[in-house]
Amino acid sequence: MAAQTLAEAAVSEGNYAVAFPYFGAERRGAPVLAFTRIDSKKIFSKTQVYAPDCVVVLDDSLLDTIDVVAGLKPKGMAIINSREKPEDIDLGKIIDTATVNATSIALEILKAPITNTAILGAFAKATGIIKIESLEESIKRKFGEKLGAKVGERNALAAWTAYERTITGKSRGVKKLEARKQWLPTHQEIPVGGCLIEGKTDAGLIGPGSFIENKVSGWATYRPLRDKAKCTMCLLCWFYCPEGTIVRISDRGDLMTNYDYCKGCGVCANECPVDAIKMVRARI
Amino acid sequence: MITIKELSDDNLFTAGHTACPGCGVAMSIRNAIRVLGKDTVVYVPASCAVVFGTTFPYGAWKVPFFHTAFENTGACLSGMQAAFEKKGKKVTVVGFAGDGGTYDIGLQSMSGAAERNDDVLYICLDNEAYMNTGIQRSGGTPFGAWTTTTPVGNVVQGNRRFKKNLGDIVAAHEIPYYATLSIGQPLDFIRKVEKAKNMRGFRFLHMFTPCIPGWKMDPAKTVEVTKRAVQSGMWTLYEIENGDKRITYKPGKMKSVKDYLMMQGRFRHMSEEDIKKLQMWVCKKWNLHYKEKGAPDVCEILPPVEHHAVTEEHREMHGP
Ligand SMILES: Cc1ncc(C[n+]2csc(CCOP(=O)(O)OP(=O)(O)O)c2C)c(N)n1
Ligand code: SF4
Ligand code: SF4
Ligand code: SF4
Ligand SMILES: [Mg+2]
Repeated sequence: MAAQTLAEAAVSEGNYAVAFPYFGAERRGAPVLAFTRIDSKKIFSKTQVYAPDCVVVLDDSLLDTIDVVAGLKPKGMAIINSREKPEDIDLGKIIDTATVNATSIALEILKAPITNTAILGAFAKATGIIKIESLEESIKRKFGEKLGAKVGERNALAAWTAYERTITGKSRGVKKLEARKQWLPTHQEIPVGGCLIEGKTDAGLIGPGSFIENKVSGWATYRPLRDKAKCTMCLLCWFYCPEGTIVRISDRGDLMTNYDYCKGCGVCANECPVDAIKMVRARI
Repeated sequence: MITIKELSDDNLFTAGHTACPGCGVAMSIRNAIRVLGKDTVVYVPASCAVVFGTTFPYGAWKVPFFHTAFENTGACLSGMQAAFEKKGKKVTVVGFAGDGGTYDIGLQSMSGAAERNDDVLYICLDNEAYMNTGIQRSGGTPFGAWTTTTPVGNVVQGNRRFKKNLGDIVAAHEIPYYATLSIGQPLDFIRKVEKAKNMRGFRFLHMFTPCIPGWKMDPAKTVEVTKRAVQSGMWTLYEIENGDKRITYKPGKMKSVKDYLMMQGRFRHMSEEDIKKLQMWVCKKWNLHYKEKGAPDVCEILPPVEHHAVTEEHREMHGP
């Protein structure tokens, strides 16, 4: 919705723009991507954006696991929702960076950690590609239509507040994030019919059961804590967990939760008949 | 009969898959395969389950797994079974198809396999819409539910048709076994999967599987919502074995359908009038399944007189 709003603001200033989400299997909780292209000329390119002029990051915990600026053009810019100053953010490259604490602005004004409108204000300030006034109009229209004029106005205020609080500077370039290796077989290496058996490549496991190397704990906002003293070993949590992250240990006499695979859904806590499981914040 | 404690510890559908947190489909698949065991071969057509369980070159399945198109689960199962039989291998050939892939586009293929009584296990993961492609209405979508193709407008709100009676369609093929399952009834769930595994011929397990974004609900409530579905009669637990129908779980007292609707954003817009319509549909189903011979009809909200009167609503629902 933010990508769309930005595009509409750009169009209202007489530009051409397109906005679209990442084409792929989007699952709730997984990191997601959206793209906006803005130009003064007609836009014919229909592909995803691989070398952006500007990267906007809504969740700075992604910086630990993903090289968000990998495709960024040399003179590009990063805009990050963070409480840190640009100088304290390590992107592995020294680049123009703007930060704003969009989460606290959203909590203040929208009373919910929905940061996509606030961050647009930072975008307007840092890049100057669009005017904050056009953004305001576009937010009011877009959000107003769907959720009512009040919500539209509050979101516009969030953008304005972010606009005023944005800090620009340069990022640090110390850390080295290794891009996740990909299995890139030659055509001879691809088995007939795409039929894979269990295999190990430089990029890790492939084939049956290889998802076990996919750690999904980053999806979780909460995680379960089990009070062993209360637990009666009824095994309902073990049965219901959709991830299979609760496992039986000690000759089936005890349980353990492997947080690498816990998405924090809370089903185990909701179903425990003796309230032995509490959900706590996964990250602070 | 296997109890929860006796279930296998093998994770034949491994962690690290990419279903949404709290996904009812993932929960049902994991427990079905726990009972079916390693001598199983799995087919999954286009659906959420194929995407979150296998993303080339990665996969969560540790049993042989096959995927082709959306509409041919029945035919694929038949072909796989024939090949294994020819090779003299004893395996359970099982397909996990969505409601879209079963009620609608895969119906002919399923019907063919059922009519030939091929020795396969067909599992329908019913999350009541085409979830993988972004929540479109299917023949399994209940009355009143919002989907992207049954939006909430000023004139019409949500789906206008009642959920297709798939159970009767499948049973009409006179197959050895049809059963409905819900993950919120673990022992009933395990028993039915075990029973289907040990029977021969065409077996059909119909699983009720909540979807978090599609039903607009709290991921922690997946199991709770299935329980309320059963308590209200929106989902009934029964099995048809060689033509004999048996209710396997009868809730004590009928709970109002509102109890169930309340938990899900997809029903939030429903008018009192629409809720009443849905309640009458549920009552009819409830009486069909649970009423003892000669006993009076029960209905949570409507007095019996009104219920028997032929109103406009009746005509709309049941024909003249
Ligand atoms: C012939 C064909 N039409 C459409 C599609 C696109 N498609 C892929 S999955 C899907 C929806 C599946 O819905 P359902 O069977 O209910 O499974 P769910 O995703 O809800 O689990 C659709 C429409 C396709 N793959 N093939
Ligand atoms: S919160 Fe969800 S994913 Fe995590 S252990 Fe509990 S049931 Fe499993
Ligand atoms: S559901 Fe509760 S009581 Fe049962 S095994 Fe899990 S923690 Fe223990
Ligand atoms: S969209 Fe629904 S069915 Fe698909 S993975 Fe998510 S919760 Fe499961
Ligand atoms: Mg479906």
